[in-house]
Amino acid sequence: MDKKLKKGISTCILYLLLIIGSIIMILPFYWMIATSLKTSSEVLKMPPMWIPTSWKWSNFAEAWKAAPFARYFLNTVIVTVFSTLGELVTSILAAYAFYRLEFYGKKVIFSILLGTMMIPGEMLLMSNFVTLTQLGWINTYQALIVPWTASAFSIFMFRQYFSTIGDELYYAARIDGSKDFGYLINIILPMSKPMIITIVIIKAIGSWNSFMWPLVVTNSENMRTLSVGLTAFITDTGTNYQLLMAASTFIILPMIIVFLVMQKYIIEGISHAGIKG
Amino acid sequence: MNKKITLKSSLKAYLYLLPAVAVIGVFVIYPLIKSFFMSFYVKYDYFKDKVYVYGIDNYKTVLSDPVFWHAMRNTMIFVIGVVPISIIISILIALMLNSKIKFGGLFRTCFFMPYVTSLVAVSIVWRWIYHKDYGILNYFLGIFGVHPIAWLDNPDVSMIALIILSIWKNIGYNVIIFLAGLQTIDKQYELAAQIDGAHYFKRVWNIVIPLLSPTTFFVAIVSVIGSFKIFDEVYALFNSGGGMAGPSDSALTVVFYIFRKFYGEWNFGVASAASFILFLVIMVFTVAQFCYARKRG
Amino acid sequence: MENLKLKRLIGLSMAAVLLIGMTGCGGSKTSDNSSLSTSSLAQVKIDKPVTIEFWHAMTGPTEKELQKLADDFHKKNPNITVKLVGQGDYTTLSQKLMAAAKARTSPVMAQAYSNWMSDYISSDLLENLTPYYNDEKIGIKNKNDIVKSFLDDNTFNGKLYGVPFNKSTEVLIYNKDYLDKVGAKVPQTWDELKEVAKETTTTINGKKVIGLGFENSVTGDLATYVKQAGGEYVTDKGQVKFNSKAGKKALQFLTDMLVTDKTARLAGEDNFMSTPFGRGDVAMYIGSSAGVSYINDAVKGKFNWSTAVLPKDEDAASSFQGTNVVIFKNATAEEKVAAWEFGKFLASDQETAEWAEKTGYVPVTQSALKSEEWESYIKKNPDQQAAVDQFDNGFIDPHLNGYTKLRTDVSTVFNDVLIGKKSVSDGLNDAEKAAKQDLEQQ
Repeated sequence: MDKKLKKGISTCILYLLLIIGSIIMILPFYWMIATSLKTSSEVLKMPPMWIPTSWKWSNFAEAWKAAPFARYFLNTVIVTVFSTLGELVTSILAAYAFYRLEFYGKKVIFSILLGTMMIPGEMLLMSNFVTLTQLGWINTYQALIVPWTASAFSIFMFRQYFSTIGDELYYAARIDGSKDFGYLINIILPMSKPMIITIVIIKAIGSWNSFMWPLVVTNSENMRTLSVGLTAFITDTGTNYQLLMAASTFIILPMIIVFLVMQKYIIEGISHAGIKG
Repeated sequence: MNKKITLKSSLKAYLYLLPAVAVIGVFVIYPLIKSFFMSFYVKYDYFKDKVYVYGIDNYKTVLSDPVFWHAMRNTMIFVIGVVPISIIISILIALMLNSKIKFGGLFRTCFFMPYVTSLVAVSIVWRWIYHKDYGILNYFLGIFGVHPIAWLDNPDVSMIALIILSIWKNIGYNVIIFLAGLQTIDKQYELAAQIDGAHYFKRVWNIVIPLLSPTTFFVAIVSVIGSFKIFDEVYALFNSGGGMAGPSDSALTVVFYIFRKFYGEWNFGVASAASFILFLVIMVFTVAQFCYARKRG
Repeated sequence: MENLKLKRLIGLSMAAVLLIGMTGCGGSKTSDNSSLSTSSLAQVKIDKPVTIEFWHAMTGPTEKELQKLADDFHKKNPNITVKLVGQGDYTTLSQKLMAAAKARTSPVMAQAYSNWMSDYISSDLLENLTPYYNDEKIGIKNKNDIVKSFLDDNTFNGKLYGVPFNKSTEVLIYNKDYLDKVGAKVPQTWDELKEVAKETTTTINGKKVIGLGFENSVTGDLATYVKQAGGEYVTDKGQVKFNSKAGKKALQFLTDMLVTDKTARLAGEDNFMSTPFGRGDVAMYIGSSAGVSYINDAVKGKFNWSTAVLPKDEDAASSFQGTNVVIFKNATAEEKVAAWEFGKFLASDQETAEWAEKTGYVPVTQSALKSEEWESYIKKNPDQQAAVDQFDNGFIDPHLNGYTKLRTDVSTVFNDVLIGKKSVSDGLNDAEKAAKQDLEQQ
């Protein structure tokens, strides 16, 4: 009996810890949504009002109208879609080269690419800003998209994944007479679906949430992305925490939905990274 | 079938590499090199793009600037303090999630959710949570008799506020990787130990942890590099706009220092010099970690 | 296989075309980098539609009013479109302007503090507006009608580089209900201020109240208090004079309330005092008269409030705050004239009065101040009287190279003092050192 009791208690403690942990992780989101539904006086109630009583759904409408969030949304979607597509193309092509092709300087180039992962982006911010002005791209979609269409990390991830695809298929395809590009498009690509989905999701989330870069390269309201728009909105509303929380909700919600739906892939992909890394 | 390296095969490969290399070349390698040269511009007219004096003075300026060392100290708190703590917490959570429990998926979702959300949006929420008078954190602490703490205004606690936010936001990532690592550990080892009658914690300590070391190593490298680069959280939490990093600059990190020199003071020379110093430090740490791992085999 | 080769070729060429196409999508500005002289001004005609960008840092209610004025301007000047681009706050605006200057993508016009103007002028970025002011056709007929301090604020080396726009003075804002509750009168001197702050730092209606509030920017605005104590801050000739008896008195005065007695607070994480004031967290605060519209929003009629002139010590003093409108050289002649017209419009009697009435900034011309409309407005809104009453005691920042950096560095040091991390004497010494360094490096 003693052992079973011990086990029972430890299981209880385990669940307790996990529940407390999960609550800590989720509570801020609950608080965000709850605050969005309060009136301005309820927001300031101490002790805090845990369950909104007024259910002011109108706060969401008000926040949406208070700044051009529709435009910010559109911009963010455009930037996310195109930079993700771009990165897919560049990474898959490059990863294939490292995986299958032989060329001079293969090791060197690969090491340099790996090395670039250690560089903090903020360091490059000013130089890139100057480059962009020389190209005339400040305050344009190009500035928001192009610099993000390649990533050493994605190249690395794809290469690792490709290496799990056996050689037999390659030789078989070769015998069939198809060249490298055909092999890439017709065989590798379809087989890499899981990795592609993972990279797409990781990249999309990163792009959606990025803010320093769009902050620096955009000047006018109509080019802002959601994060930048939100930063501007903070100064605008000042007092209105319920509106601020409502605005934060618009930005966070889409990503949470994507995450909940696509969890499996995201988690698998990141696990992959850990194991291979 | 051995593939030879020929000019033709190289050219073909370069074509495949071209798009990625072009982008990375222009937006990562080129600015890196330009930055390196700029670090030697001692007197530089930003508007006319004219360099009046070259030299290593910028490096001297940075290394003798007490503000830089303050930033370095704060950054080190993250690297040497936060990373290990966060790794330990992640391993513990991963171990818990890995045991046979119901709702494992649900818990996992909860721990990972903060990671996928927008930092700016989440910082706004945390700012409200940290508010001295109306925040729920002080409310909870108040239940235990703790006086209201000015998380965002008191320079003594601002780093703690930053650390809590940083860990909360990023821990999911580490947990997932450790979970994956745990799941690949051959169950056989664990079973053998169980049969031997070893206690759970002993098992964990003597078998699981050592077998987990490649994963731990990976997480350590990524986390250390990441913590050297801490900037976004500081900017978002304290709404600094390039001004002070937290009350009285108490949350200043090296990257923030660099950013301020660039975007606030327009002193490209000094900013570039500081960037390079940071880059070297990161390299040293990363290489040290690799050497340590190699030694331990 | 021919098919695949072709496919690949098409794919790659499409990529190439895309890349080239994207690089082509940048506009280049045909810009005129020289200032217009009086004679050439006359030849500039705006006969085709001109669009100009005006970068500003107005938000919320003030931004709305600015938009309304722009719309009014559009009705009177159908050929000119002013695109208002809000940058959020002054720090961001300053950064964006500098970044744009380097990229040669400066907007045509922007708000700018006079110390930013010093920096821009030394880098030759601003259009000299003296010919515009004096122009027969489009000039400002009676430029001496503009409040002298404001005109001075725009004068550098005898030349005019801007038009005053959103000017304000600092006033004492107080919660009438709270003061009545504790039986306190509106303080008029430093001693009275200290007293009332103490009396109102208590629990009122179940809420913990702190007596007095200061904006976060007070660390850079110590000049007000040094002058009130009878001393000087930084002179027009560039002498750093705040490390004096008066300076010590001023800094000590603030530190006593903020650190020792805890009867005062900084805006801190709330960013601007109007927010906690609206919540009823403080009984009084010293802030810009332009906070009026924000205070109204924050208070929402929950209690009665009003403003008063700043309490004085040896002297009365209040800094003039706010920005001027400047025009960048890097624009076409037509754009510059269009911008001038808008700047002039904003400073004309009727508009400046309307702007002031709706926002709490002050009118910039004497005629506007003396106008019937303004006088009747003041009668109906006596809490705006305080702002105007302080004109005689108003002062502006000296025009010195390096003053912007001075403000930042000194502010950092004083911030440490006001949160109790540094002693008053250390603070004054360190600030003096930093200030002297910043001015010397010019």
